Amino acid sequence: MSVVRAIQPIRPIAPRRHLRPLPAATTPRVAAVPRATSRASAFALLRALSPKIIIGAVLIIVVNLGLSSLSNASIYQISQLKKDTATLGTQTQIINQQVASLRSPQNLANSAMALGMVVNSNPVFLSVKQSRIFGTSSPASANNSGVSNNLIANAVLITKSNPSKFAASQKAQIDVPSVLSVKTHKSPIVKVVLPSDGIPTSPTH
Amino acid sequence: MFNEGTFKRHRNLNIVVLLVLLAFIARLTWFQIWAAPGFRDEAKQAIEVTKGIEAVRGNIVDSQGNILATTIFTWDINIDPVNVGPVVLDIDGKQTEFSKEEATTYIATILNVAPSKILAKMTGVGRYANLKKNATATQFTQLKNLDIPWLYFDRKQTRYYPQGAVAGNLIGFMSSDGSALAGIERTMNSCLAGNDGKETYEQGADLIKIPSSIRTITPVRDGSDVVLTINSDLQYAAQQEVAATVKRLNADWASAIVIEVATGKILAAAEAPTVDPNKPGAVKAQNRASRIFQTAFEPGSILKPVAAATALDTGKATPLTHVTAPQSLRMPWGQFINDAELHAPERLTLTGVLAQSSNTGIVQIGGKVDSATRYDYMKKFGMGDKTGVNFEGESSGVLTNYKNWDKMTDKVVMFGQGVSLTPIQTADIFQTFANKGVRVSPLLISGCQDRSGNLDPTEVDSPVRVLSEKTASQTMDMLEKVVEKGPIGRTARIFGYRVAGKTGTAQIAEGKGYGRLHAVSFVGIAPAEDPKYVVAVTAYKSRNISNSLGATPGFVAVMKQVLKTYAVPPSTTKSKKIPTGW
Repeated sequence: MSVVRAIQPIRPIAPRRHLRPLPAATTPRVAAVPRATSRASAFALLRALSPKIIIGAVLIIVVNLGLSSLSNASIYQISQLKKDTATLGTQTQIINQQVASLRSPQNLANSAMALGMVVNSNPVFLSVKQSRIFGTSSPASANNSGVSNNLIANAVLITKSNPSKFAASQKAQIDVPSVLSVKTHKSPIVKVVLPSDGIPTSPTH
Repeated sequence: MFNEGTFKRHRNLNIVVLLVLLAFIARLTWFQIWAAPGFRDEAKQAIEVTKGIEAVRGNIVDSQGNILATTIFTWDINIDPVNVGPVVLDIDGKQTEFSKEEATTYIATILNVAPSKILAKMTGVGRYANLKKNATATQFTQLKNLDIPWLYFDRKQTRYYPQGAVAGNLIGFMSSDGSALAGIERTMNSCLAGNDGKETYEQGADLIKIPSSIRTITPVRDGSDVVLTINSDLQYAAQQEVAATVKRLNADWASAIVIEVATGKILAAAEAPTVDPNKPGAVKAQNRASRIFQTAFEPGSILKPVAAATALDTGKATPLTHVTAPQSLRMPWGQFINDAELHAPERLTLTGVLAQSSNTGIVQIGGKVDSATRYDYMKKFGMGDKTGVNFEGESSGVLTNYKNWDKMTDKVVMFGQGVSLTPIQTADIFQTFANKGVRVSPLLISGCQDRSGNLDPTEVDSPVRVLSEKTASQTMDMLEKVVEKGPIGRTARIFGYRVAGKTGTAQIAEGKGYGRLHAVSFVGIAPAEDPKYVVAVTAYKSRNISNSLGATPGFVAVMKQVLKTYAVPPSTTKSKKIPTGW
């Protein structure tokens, strides 16, 4: 309704009059307005509005197409990003499991034992606050160090430390889980870039 | 402008246009109003998907936040046998076609199964065959990178226990279909499980989800974490010791409990043999439970301090009360109570009775207190009731009402027969001595912690005053003499620390009598001058050593580890001088 009200005639057309001398003492007559007059004005109105309607419609279609295209692209982008997230999540899980395996007490106990470490069962405590030494120091020995070798089962101990590598490689590196170097030309491989230090090398997978 | 004919033609044309327009309007109305619901439903069925969202189960963590149980994803690897065929693979940048047999070799290598087994599943006209259940993330990644079109992957949640059998007796385990079967996994299932959600969304022909169409029907709520009081490092060390004890003694099982005196927190509850929750089927059924909470047996001499403390608290005796303890004591009704070792009559104080672990001595002094009062004290020590831990299947032990005690039971309960306790109940009694006579219920679960870190703490029973502070202190002094002067107790000494404790060698009921094997135990407290920790070690059915000498090495090792872990400085004071004889 508001659209109709907003439209104003472009060129007001004055009503036509048919003048002729009035006979004396006659009453005024009402003359019908020719039909052609209103039709002509409608055509004129249509003629004036048509270009705007067409341009508007085309514009709407173009904008709609543009938005639709952008939306479609975003949908596929979101979908791809979700796939990438899942791939990264899987890679994270693999690495987390390796870290969990390496830091498990079973692996640490075995590694410490392999390095010849023993438990010191008589530790000495230093109190800085009191400037005192508590306890009597004595060298730790394998004879009184309690249980050294691991006796506790762990079925998920899949990644084990290799103590012989510790000395050779001071700078630890993360061993990214190796996958077969086999892939189709269709498969985009999302590579995980990881920091190069901080976690001991994992020799097995 | 228009003649009559033109006007008529225009009118007719308008009528035709109007009719066509009306026809369109009618048709559109039919489409838009009458037929619209049907079309909407049809379209909805074609593109709308309703999907359940599985809540991720929460973790079980120790007091330091170390993960003991968590959830990971594994994959079921499936194939569509009908579509199995040659594949084009990219090997080092070179595209090569492989037959299905060659592709199978790759798959078999990754899954670590024989190629023949996979090939057998590829035959037939079925649309589904499972190659492997619970493939690891590494296997899944490797297979996915092969991009074989007839391989399918179904992801599912799987429970993962990174520390293996560490605290396996407490954590429990899950079934392959995700049901909690035992331990904390089951008792705290309501905290861990969370709530599954549901959502609907529309998807395109290429199965792409249309983001704006997602509608949540039921929001998913992931499970919360269960926080234990356990220190997993200490738990591991204690499990190492009890595993070594079982081997050394050729015992059925052994356990070690560490309790923080002031709070009742269980810092370690170790058992051997025990279960690795990752593979519960690898051990016998009896090793999948927690004997610390579920197995009650007559504790033996370890209960003598209860009878002694009761006599002190009721004013019937002092640590210096004299008694002559024969090797065998004849009861008025003709039965005998004997000491374990042959000896001449000994002049002992009450302190000496505990140090020598004399049955005949404790019966004489403890018997000064009437049965009803002794029974009341035993109840206040927690005997016959489950602890506040309320572990699944926890035993309350057996303490029959004193009115039902026969004459002999009335005496033997003073040295731990005719009454049965779980190892955790025994440890809790010594926590009471160490905590100035106030019994605090043991605590295993700190609470349920949501993903935002808010902890809903476990409700704990109110502390119970069992003994006066003076009585508890006197009992501690006497228990210290057990370690200083007791023939077996002295093997529980720890260099540099004052230690209080008690030995226990209990006969094990078999049928109507007692069997040949014993439950040997030692419960100790350190440092005695300022009690911080209780350690209780038990070996059940020890075959190589039939007294507490079998338990004291394990106690010493575990207590040393505790003192080191919590940096308890060595003692700087000496124990009181209390004569053990007269």
